[in-house]
Amino acid sequence: MTAKAHTAPALERGYARLGVLLIAPVIVVFSLVIVYPLLAAIYLSLFQIYTPTLQGSFVGVDNYMDLLTRRAFWSSLWVTLVWTFGTLSLQIVCGVGVALLLHQNLWFRSLARSLVLFPYFLSTVVAVLVWRWLFNDLYGALNHGLMQIGLIDMPVDWLGSMPNAMIGIILVGAWKYFPFVVIAVLARLQTIPEHLYEAAKIDGAGPIARFWDVTLPQLRSVLTVIILLRAIWDFKEFDLIYLLTGGGPVTSTQTLALLVYQEAFALNEMGRAAAYSVGMMLVMLVFMIVYVRHSGREG
Amino acid sequence: MGQVTLTDVRKVFGAFTALEGLNIDIAEGEFVALLGPSGCGKSTTLRMLAGLDFPTAGTISIGGRVVNDVPPGKRDIAMVFQSYALYPHMTVAENIAYPLKKRGMPKAERTAAVQKAAATLQLEPLLDRKPRQLSGGQQQRVALGRALVREPKVFLLDEPLSNLDAKLRSYMRAELIELHRRIGKTMVYVTHDQLEAMTMADRIAVMHGGRLQQFDTPAAVYDRPANRFVAGFIGTPSMNLVEGAVRDGTFVFAGQALPLPKDRFGDVPEGPAVLGLRPEDIRLEQGPLQGTLRLVENSGHEQIVTVEVPGGTRLLVRAEAGRPLSMGQSATLAVETARLHLFAPGETGARLGRDPGGAVVEMAPRQSGGAS
Repeated sequence: MTAKAHTAPALERGYARLGVLLIAPVIVVFSLVIVYPLLAAIYLSLFQIYTPTLQGSFVGVDNYMDLLTRRAFWSSLWVTLVWTFGTLSLQIVCGVGVALLLHQNLWFRSLARSLVLFPYFLSTVVAVLVWRWLFNDLYGALNHGLMQIGLIDMPVDWLGSMPNAMIGIILVGAWKYFPFVVIAVLARLQTIPEHLYEAAKIDGAGPIARFWDVTLPQLRSVLTVIILLRAIWDFKEFDLIYLLTGGGPVTSTQTLALLVYQEAFALNEMGRAAAYSVGMMLVMLVFMIVYVRHSGREG
Repeated sequence: MGQVTLTDVRKVFGAFTALEGLNIDIAEGEFVALLGPSGCGKSTTLRMLAGLDFPTAGTISIGGRVVNDVPPGKRDIAMVFQSYALYPHMTVAENIAYPLKKRGMPKAERTAAVQKAAATLQLEPLLDRKPRQLSGGQQQRVALGRALVREPKVFLLDEPLSNLDAKLRSYMRAELIELHRRIGKTMVYVTHDQLEAMTMADRIAVMHGGRLQQFDTPAAVYDRPANRFVAGFIGTPSMNLVEGAVRDGTFVFAGQALPLPKDRFGDVPEGPAVLGLRPEDIRLEQGPLQGTLRLVENSGHEQIVTVEVPGGTRLLVRAEAGRPLSMGQSATLAVETARLHLFAPGETGARLGRDPGGAVVEMAPRQSGGAS
């Protein structure tokens, strides 16, 4: 009896040690690439630093005070929110629509399912080059086409004027990332029991009622996760916007990520850039808390 | 109003013929079970009645109206699914009210109808719960409630009890019989469980290989199976079916000869045939057959004995409980010749000879007096 009482905890301790050992590599990597840069950014944000030399002086919370009073931060925050909301809404609507279409028994379904992933897999630089060529006001295919069918008389400056530039990045962002929504929604659609649709048919529900009463409630949890994840990713999107408009015209499409880059490498204000990025992280923390709470509840 | 008629219904899926020449006539208020092994076409038949599948040929009519082109929601039917198919995000009350809502019934009437259905099925305390908070039996009752609330002409039930445990199943069986008696609506019930079919149905349609084998009362299906398939499918343990031949007024198999009653089998031509004997129609008594006990299964209220007769044929025999029996013991078997059956060879070989008392197989229920 006593022997048993002694061996069980010993065995448990052994398992616990093994568990720690197994997750240790992840913890080390996580600390190096996430925890250290995060702490470093917070530390840097307390200094005024000249980027090329990384020499600086301690200024306390001055960078944060500066952030709160500067128009650049607030206008960039607004631009970021407009971009995130615009492109995310389009991604969800197009993604769900295309997923529903690809869930139907179409003869080209398997081909279409592979093709739809194309924008997502394409490198951002390549995609943006193609889109800039399409949008170009001198030789762009888009202007050419629109003039051919008589919708416009003069070429439109798609990326150099507002609100065209914002619409442009929102459209390209939606095009680039909607396949992610398609994949996730399609996977969920395939697991909705057919019996629910049959029961709804017998209960007298038409196709539209079946979408609202069966499909959408079943998609609810996957859509919540998609929206939260994509909101976080879109909020910090950099390369697509930087390559497409560079934040212009002037600062009309300068999101927070672009502002941080500009402060750090164009204005050589590494400390202020770090403060901005910490501010950005605080906004994203809201999404993250919602996401963590949601996935915790699901579990 | 609730009569259901299938005329020459045929259903083909690609190269597979699921149903062939199906003719079934169900009277108003009748409880009919579609019974058969998996793949026999019973579920396809029910789905076509519901309008979820469409016949390749033939007509389906409900309440005297041909419904081949009528969508499920307009057929005046309700269906209970094996998986219950409750809407997971709706409460019990919302689930039950859903078909009424889709038909545009005002909210006050809807609530009253839900209350009534809930009272019938003792669901009142559960109305605010979600389906995932309910047990299997409770979900089953909600599915029934959703069907009941519409007051349809015909109820279609697709193996509604097969996801329940044995105890709950027998309880729900009794509930369903009671419910049918109370509301008196036509019910078509698909099952592969012959006990459910035998105990609940007014008539059983036994199906096999996409064809209707027999459509009759439970008693007739049991006592006068129309062919070898029905004979072997109905009854637990199943009927002993022995291959042999009819010769000189006897059934000859493995060197043994069993005399056949002249009045029933006098006109059966000589040649190969299959003998059918229910386990309860063989007794371990002085009789014409010799055998050795190979297996004794005691289930408490009876014993099922496997007896091997010379030539290797094994027969199942039902014996009363408490009788001392042991494996390896030799015994003689007496046969209730009035209750034996003969079938033509082949999987669905037809019933041969005349029925006890000279009656012909028909749809009328068996007289309570019974045989001869």
